[in-house]
Amino acid sequence: MKNILKENPAKQVVHWSLLAMLVLYVLTGFGITAYRTVEFLTFGLLTKPLAFKIHDDLIIPFVVLIGLHIYQQIKKSSEE
Amino acid sequence: MVLKAIAFVALLSIALAAASGCEATSTSRLQSVEVKEYQGEKLSSINDFRENSIKGPQYVDIKNYRLKIFGLVENPKEYTYGEVVDNHQSYEKVVQLDCVEGWSVAILWEGLLVKDLLAAAKVKPEAKVAIFHAYDGYTTSLPLDYIMNNNILMAYKMNGVTLPPERGFPFELVAESKWGYKWEKWVTQIELSNDVNYRGYWESRGYSNSADLNEDFFEK
Repeated sequence: MKNILKENPAKQVVHWSLLAMLVLYVLTGFGITAYRTVEFLTFGLLTKPLAFKIHDDLIIPFVVLIGLHIYQQIKKSSEE
Repeated sequence: MVLKAIAFVALLSIALAAASGCEATSTSRLQSVEVKEYQGEKLSSINDFRENSIKGPQYVDIKNYRLKIFGLVENPKEYTYGEVVDNHQSYEKVVQLDCVEGWSVAILWEGLLVKDLLAAAKVKPEAKVAIFHAYDGYTTSLPLDYIMNNNILMAYKMNGVTLPPERGFPFELVAESKWGYKWEKWVTQIELSNDVNYRGYWESRGYSNSADLNEDFFEK
């Protein structure tokens, strides 16, 4: 199994950021549709309006990160 | 003796048949069935809504229910459910509800005009806004001009069926051309005010107070 910690830092930043963004995307999605539960579980920190704002604002960084991720994988495949 | 017995049985049979015949012609009220199409337009179902109220569905005890109209009015009013439904002209209209969450439903709404209710209470000239209070503590407001000029309904039926508790029984506001958070469910009070800056539950948490469908629902 390949150790991802040995990958170059730029790749690592993209990988981990994408993972964090995915988690945030799902969480804020639930923060909109199941807001009463999410507000309760986050002690009132993630309110529905805040979840909406974060969910909306994430769209561009999310697309950029996916683009970078795909680019890195294509580059890696061509190098191998 | 045998003849008398036969005659008695025959008479009894005729009487029973007549009684059952009477029963068959009397009217029994059946449960309403949801209308699926109206004047060629396909309607959404009552079950197409998503539950997103602030405290979950409310179950209003209709025996104790009163609709209060107060604030800047000359005659504050208090109506029972029956008085609201039976003593006002009913109207029906297909209106689409658009929720900020991204879903929408087109429903045949039946109810009374809010302006008819307000007319009976005689709104004072300085009143500018109607603040709607709900059973669960939710509030929202609408400009009086909007209510008067757009024949805004307060519905008690949807798709021909009495509003279920989950959908806002006894009354839901049909705030057409406004985002769904203006469509208040479980309406209990209408307060007339001159506070044009009044903000309801979601409006005080960043949603637009005008809530026009052609604009973003977040205040810029």
